[in-house]
Parts: sequence; structure tokens; C-alpha cells
Amino acid sequence: MSNPRQSANQIAVRLENVTQRFRVIQERPDTLRELFAKFFRHEVNYHDFDAISNLSLEVPRGQMLGVIGRNGSGKSTLLKIIAGVYRPTTGRVHVEGNLAPLIELGAGFHHELTGRENILLNGLLMGYSKQEMLMREQSIIDFADIGDFIDAPIKQYSSGMHTRLAFAVATEVDPDILVVDEILAVGDTSFQQKCFARIDKFREAKKTILFVSHAMPQITEHCDRAVLLDRGSILADGEPEDVVDFYRSLSTPELTPAH
Amino acid sequence: MLPLECTELKEFIRSTLRYRELIWALALKELKLRYKRSVLGFLWALLNPALMMAVLTIVFSTILRFNIPHYAIFLLSVLLPWTFFSQSLSYAAECIVGNGELIKKVAVPKLVFPVAAVVSNIINLLLSLIPMALLVLAMRHPFYSTWLYLPVPILALVIFTLGMSCFFATANVFYRDIAHILQVLLSAWFYFTPIIYALDFVPAHLHWLFRLNPIIYVINGFRLAIYYGMLPSRQSIAASFLCGIIALVIGCAVFRKYQDEFVFYV
Repeated sequence: MSNPRQSANQIAVRLENVTQRFRVIQERPDTLRELFAKFFRHEVNYHDFDAISNLSLEVPRGQMLGVIGRNGSGKSTLLKIIAGVYRPTTGRVHVEGNLAPLIELGAGFHHELTGRENILLNGLLMGYSKQEMLMREQSIIDFADIGDFIDAPIKQYSSGMHTRLAFAVATEVDPDILVVDEILAVGDTSFQQKCFARIDKFREAKKTILFVSHAMPQITEHCDRAVLLDRGSILADGEPEDVVDFYRSLSTPELTPAH
Repeated sequence: MLPLECTELKEFIRSTLRYRELIWALALKELKLRYKRSVLGFLWALLNPALMMAVLTIVFSTILRFNIPHYAIFLLSVLLPWTFFSQSLSYAAECIVGNGELIKKVAVPKLVFPVAAVVSNIINLLLSLIPMALLVLAMRHPFYSTWLYLPVPILALVIFTLGMSCFFATANVFYRDIAHILQVLLSAWFYFTPIIYALDFVPAHLHWLFRLNPIIYVINGFRLAIYYGMLPSRQSIAASFLCGIIALVIGCAVFRKYQDEFVFYV
């Protein structure tokens, strides 16, 4: 299922030689006392580690890209760079259009506030206007399907209700690019179906979707293309079936995920 | 003005205006959470300063008697803006660290957090002026027309507080000691500022030292307007704004320089 929609001027996400370096400091001095102690003893215990190393990637508008790889291969870091949470150490990132990050559902939710208050606050945090959020409030409530609970503090919600509301807020705002990080692993089957129905609608509307999952059937079934990450670099890039097969061939002999 | 100052101020005003809805929502959230689950709710924003005033009035009119008529008004006219200043700073110092989970997951403009901390305290300051006015009436202190001048020192104080807040918000991300140091600094600063006393009580040869205190000019404006019914001199007004703008330029420059690093340290 190759993608005929690609064309050079229709790139939604472009990464050029991006490196994200984390300085892992063993026992980083958290207080001034420790800092002085370390400073005078000339101890600097750290090593640098590239979560993403010299990675280039182009995602054409309208493509659904699956990102797979072992734990710690850099999938979440990659999505966070694209979502603008991290500014990469080197390299350039270009994102065309507004982006809805579903990196962790309900990251901006505050437990003491009601569902309705959280819809507004979360929308504002993602950069939408108050007017836009009020306009979409009813359809968010409808999709989340939480009834009268909408005016209760969300600490009283079940985790399912919490997830449904968060997914509804993130997707109802009509983003150009949707970034989904493993969140669909939660929720019951009917809600998962509802989420994928919505994701399919996004695809029909030619929106760009970046999708991280450990569930290989989800990748092969929904994505147009897949990339396999390993130690911060792209190890394979192509048809989802091929990439998934390659990934499986890597991990099968060892039975358990390596490292 | 230097080009650096222009850019910093322009940038600050631009982002504040751009994210005004978010800042307002965060400030309201702050207030809502503060009064949540209390029977009287938002009324506490009025009751709190009113009760504090009642206590101070009783203490200073019966137990401790100073040679200053209507000492409670003398004190409160500057204690209210001071409370605004110190509360804002305490909030702001924790605001980036406190929103760490959010900063790690959503690309959110970080400047909104210290600004929202200050805005929520502006609301408290404005509300506390109501019991202040009632106290002036109750004590039969003259209600001066110079109250109308109050927006000017309020503006200068807000500018100064925003600058200091941005600085301490940044510093506390990298060294958590800052929040503790800030509390000590604030209490020392409180006693070195003519709040519970007047500058006249200080020996004249030390006045120059007190004039180095950047908050003294703006604080003085509040006391003159509410207690004395006078306006500060033009030099004093200019000094209060100059201190505010210098603090804002430095605070914003520091904040903007380090804000991309926050995500790695929260």
C-alpha cells in the first residue's frame, strides 16, 4: 500500500540530522552544598548519551507513519522532538501545521478541576483559543461519553473516563498532525475501536499521523509506512509489513527483547 | 535604551498578549484551587485580609501603641503590596518545577507559569483593597482622593514583581535551594524596607543605604496615597518604574536564555 500522495512540497514533518543528547549525570548535584562539594573535589560524574543520533526523516502530508522499536530505542524522544517538547541538541526540525500531541493523555489535566474546566485549560495549553474550545466543548463531551460527570472534578473519574475525555480533547480540536504515543494500549475494546475509527477519519481527511505502538497488528493494519528505530537511528524504513517482519526477525532468535 | 532591553521587553509583552487567555485560565485555576473545598470559598480572598487587618488593628491600638496615629492603616497601606510581592515570588519560584510533568509532555510556552502566578496574586491584591477601604472608613481616617493614584504604584510593582518572578522561577529549576533562600531573603528584605516603620525612624546617615533598596520607591507610593493623602515626587515615581523595568529586563533575559533547558531539569 504505497502512498501516492507524496510530493516534495507537501512535507508535514522534516527532521534534518537531528541529534538529541542527554547528559546523564550520576547523582547530579541537587543542592548548592553538593555542587560546592563536587566543585572543590573536581568531580564531574556524567556521560553523554544520544537518545536520537543524526536522524533525518521526512513525513509527507497525509501519511500515517508507524514508529516501532525496542524500549529505549528513542521512539518517545523522537515524538517529543517533533512535538516541540525538546529542542534538539543539533539539527533542524520543521513542522508544517498545528500539531496535537497525544504523548500522554491528560498531561495537562488537573484533578481538582471539573471535566468542563479541564477541557478549556487543556485546549489553551495546546495553543487553541478559548472561543475555539467553547465551540467544540459539546462534541468533546459527546465523544467522551461521560454524562453528568463532566461537571465533577476529574479525580472522581474512572481511568476509562479520564482516557476518553483526554482523547476527545486532543482529537476534537482538528489538528493537522496527530502524534500518538502508545496511548491506545489503554481503554476497553469498544473505546479502542472508537479511537481507531477516529484515526481512520483523520486519514481520510489527509491528516498526518505519527503513531508509536508495540502492537504490530496495529502498525500493519493502519499505517502507510513504518520506521524501525534502534539506538536513536533508523534501522529500517518502508512498507509496514516488511519493517515489522524485519523487526520480528531481529528479536525472535533471542526470544526476549535484547538488552 | 539599549537594544537588548527593547528586545526583551517587546518579546515579553508579545508573548504575554499572545497567551493571555491561557495565563488568565491558569491564574483562575490557582485561585479556585486555593479556595476549593472551603465552605466560604472565594469569600476567603476578602475575609483573609479583613481578619488579618482586624488582628493588627486590635494589637496596635491596645497592646502596642506607637506614636503614629491610625498605625494599622499606616502599616497595612504597605503591608498589602508587600504581601502581594512576597506571595508572587514564593509562587513563581515553584511554578516551573510544580508544572514539570506538564512541561515534559506538552510543548507549552513556559513564560505563562510565572506570569500566571503573579496575575493570581494581583487579583488577591485588588480584592484586599476593599477591606482596606472599609478599615479606613471604620477608623475614621480621611479617605483621600489620592486613592485614585493607586493604579500607578500597582503597575510599577507588578512590573518589578514579574521581573523578579521570572528570575526566581528560572533559578529554582536548576537549584532547588533557591526556594528556601528566597524565604530567608524575603524576611530580611521585609525588615530592611520601611514597612512596619517609617524611613524617618532610621538615622539620617543611613538613608543612602535604604535608598538602594529597589522596592522602597514603589512601596512609598502606596503609603503616601492611602495614609498621607499625598503623591510621591516625580523622581520617586521615575525611580519606581526604572527599578521595575530593570528587574523585568534581567528576569526575562535570564528566563528566555534557560527556558529550553527546563525540560531536562524538572
